[in-house]
Amino acid sequence: MLALALGQPIVLGIVQGAAFGLMAIGLVLIYKSSRVFNFAAGEFATLGAFAYYLSKDKVPVPIAAVIGVVVGIVAGLLTERLVVRPLANRPKVTVLVATAATAITIIAVQFLAGATGKTFAVPALWKGTLPFRILGLYVSYQQLIVLLALALAGGALALFFSQTDLGLATLATSQEPTASRLMGIRVNRVAMLTWGLAGGLGGLAGVLLSPTLGNFTPAYGTTDLLTQSFTAAVLGGMTSVPGAFVGGLALGLVQNLAQFNISSDTLPGAQFVAVLVVLVIVLLVRPTGILGKEA
Amino acid sequence: MTATLERPTEDEPEGSRPSPVEGRRFRPTPGGWAGRAAVPVGLLLIALWYTHHFSQGRSDILASGLVIAVGALSLNVLVGYVGQISLGHQAFIGIGSFTASYVIGQSGQSFYVGLLAGAAVGGLQAILLGLIALRVRGLYFALVTLSWGAVAENCIFRLKGFTGGGEGANASRPGGFITDRAFLVMCALVLTVVLLIDWRLVSTKAGRAFQAIRESPQVAANYGINVRLYTLYAFAVAGVYAGIAGALYASRRITVQAGDFTFASIALTYLIVTVVGGLRRRGGIVLFSLFYVLGGEYLPGWVRGLPLPGTLKANAGYLVQAISGVLAIVTLIFQPEGLGTFTAPMGRWLKGERFALGHGGAGAEGVDARP
Repeated sequence: MLALALGQPIVLGIVQGAAFGLMAIGLVLIYKSSRVFNFAAGEFATLGAFAYYLSKDKVPVPIAAVIGVVVGIVAGLLTERLVVRPLANRPKVTVLVATAATAITIIAVQFLAGATGKTFAVPALWKGTLPFRILGLYVSYQQLIVLLALALAGGALALFFSQTDLGLATLATSQEPTASRLMGIRVNRVAMLTWGLAGGLGGLAGVLLSPTLGNFTPAYGTTDLLTQSFTAAVLGGMTSVPGAFVGGLALGLVQNLAQFNISSDTLPGAQFVAVLVVLVIVLLVRPTGILGKEA
Repeated sequence: MTATLERPTEDEPEGSRPSPVEGRRFRPTPGGWAGRAAVPVGLLLIALWYTHHFSQGRSDILASGLVIAVGALSLNVLVGYVGQISLGHQAFIGIGSFTASYVIGQSGQSFYVGLLAGAAVGGLQAILLGLIALRVRGLYFALVTLSWGAVAENCIFRLKGFTGGGEGANASRPGGFITDRAFLVMCALVLTVVLLIDWRLVSTKAGRAFQAIRESPQVAANYGINVRLYTLYAFAVAGVYAGIAGALYASRRITVQAGDFTFASIALTYLIVTVVGGLRRRGGIVLFSLFYVLGGEYLPGWVRGLPLPGTLKANAGYLVQAISGVLAIVTLIFQPEGLGTFTAPMGRWLKGERFALGHGGAGAEGVDARP
C-alpha cells in the first residue's frame, strides 16, 4: 500500500500543468522579446474564458472556443499598444506595475459587469472520456485536448525561434532594440506579434482549462493560474520555450501531489506552499532554471 | 532697478535682504505664515465638519482611508525608497491584522499590545522575505512576493488556531476609542506617527542609503554602504508599517476574515494607490487614499443617477477600482510623480518656501526630487 496518493494527482497534475505551460510559454515569449514580466497574463485567460462562456449558446462550441482565443489575442494587442509601448524606454519594474494595474482594471470591469461571487459553467470542447483507465482514472477527451494544445504550441514556438527569420528577429529585438531597428527589423511589429501570440495562448489556456474544472470564477486567471505559470516559466529558465513546457507540467504535478496528500486540516492551501517552495529553491539554487538557455 | 521690479517683493521681509550672490533664503511675511497656517487648520475644520455634522459612518469611511494610507506608505518604502516591488501585500497587512486580533481577541490583551505585536510580527515576516530579496532582485523578487501573498491568503490566514479558520477573528477597539468617530482620531494619530517616522527615515543616513541602493546596489556597495543591512532595514520598516496598518484594519472592522485579504482587494489596490498618489510622495499617497475611499462611497450614488445599464449601476461599488486602475496606468505613462506633482509644491509652500510647480524635476524616474 503506497503512502502517497498518486494516480489522480498525476493525471490531474499533467492536465493542469499543461494549462500552466501554455500560459508560461506566453510569459516566456514576452520576456524573450521585451524583458517584461506580464502580470496581466492571467486576465487574458479569464477574458478568453468569459468570451467562450458568453458565446457558447449563440454559436457552435468550437467556434465559441475560437472566439475565446481571438479575444485573448485582442487583449494582448491592446495591452501592448496602450500600456506597454508608451512605457518602452522606462525601467522594467515600471512596466510590471503597469501590467498589474491592467490586471486590476480588467478584474474591476468583470465585477462591474456583475460577475461578483458567481461561477460560470462551461461545456467541454469534446465531451466524453477515453474508454479505458489510466492510473485508475478515466481521462476525458477535453484533458487530452489541453495536452495536445500545449505540445503543439510548444513545438511550433520552439521551431519559430530556432528556424524562422522572424523568430531570430524577435530574439535580436530583445537583446538590442536600437541595433535591430537599424538592421531593418520592425521592432513595433515584433512586439505586436509576441503580445498577440501571448494573449492568444492565454485565451487558449482559459478556454481549454475551465471546462476540465467544469466552471470558472471571475479573475480566476490571476488567482489560480498566474503565480503557477510564472513559477513554471522560472523553473524552465524564463527564456526557454521547451523549459516553460516542462516547467508547466512539473509544477502541475507538484501542486496536485501536495494538494492530494496534505489534508487541509493540517495545512490549508498546501498547493500554494508547494509552489512557493519550488520558486524559492529554483531562484536560490539554479536561477537559470532547468533548461536555462535561449532557445 | 529692473532687477527689483522683476523680483516679487510682497512676501519678503524689509531690510534683511541678502545679496543674490550669497544665495538669499526666502522667508514669508507674517501674513504669508498666517496663510500657510490657515491651510492645515482649514483642512482640519473641513474634516471635523464632515464627520461631526453627520453620521458616525462618515468617520468610518475616513478611517478606512487612513488605514489604506498607512498600508500604502509601507509599500512606498519598498517600491519608492529601495526599488523592490511587492505584489504580496495582502500577506503583510493580513499578518499584522491577524496577529493583532489574536493578541486582542484570544489572549485578551489591550489594543495597544495588539498594535505593537502586529507591528513586530509584520516586521519579522518582512525581514524573512527581505532575506530572499538579498539574493533575488527586481522582477524575480516580485514573483516571490506574489507567491508569498498566495501562500498567506490560502494557507496562513486559514490556520484555525491562528485566525479562527473561516469564522474570522475578533479585535475590539481600545477604551475611549470605541465609536467610529473616536477611532478615526486614533487612526489619524497613528498615521501622524508613521508619517513622522517616515519623514525622519528619508532625511537621515538610512534614507540616503536607500536612494543609493535603489539607483544601483553595486555602486552603493562601492561607496561603503552596507547593502544587505539597509535592504533588510527597509523591509523591516515596510513590515512594521504594514503590521500597524493591519492592526488598525482589524480594530476598525472589529472582525477580520481570510477573505478580506486578497490579491485584488489589498495587494493590487494598495499598489495602485501608491502609484497614483506618487512614489516617494507621502502627501500624495495620503490624499489619494482618501480620494479612493470617498470615491468608493460616493461614486456609486452619483452613477445611479446617470442613464446607464442596470448591472453597471448595481455594481457601481467597483467603479472606483476600475477608474484607479486606469489612473495608475495613465500616471505611470504621463506623470510618474502622481498626485505628488501637486502635493509636493504645496508641501514646500507650507514649509515656508515660495510656491513653484515642478520644482523637483518632474518625470525623471529614480531621481529623488526632494530638495
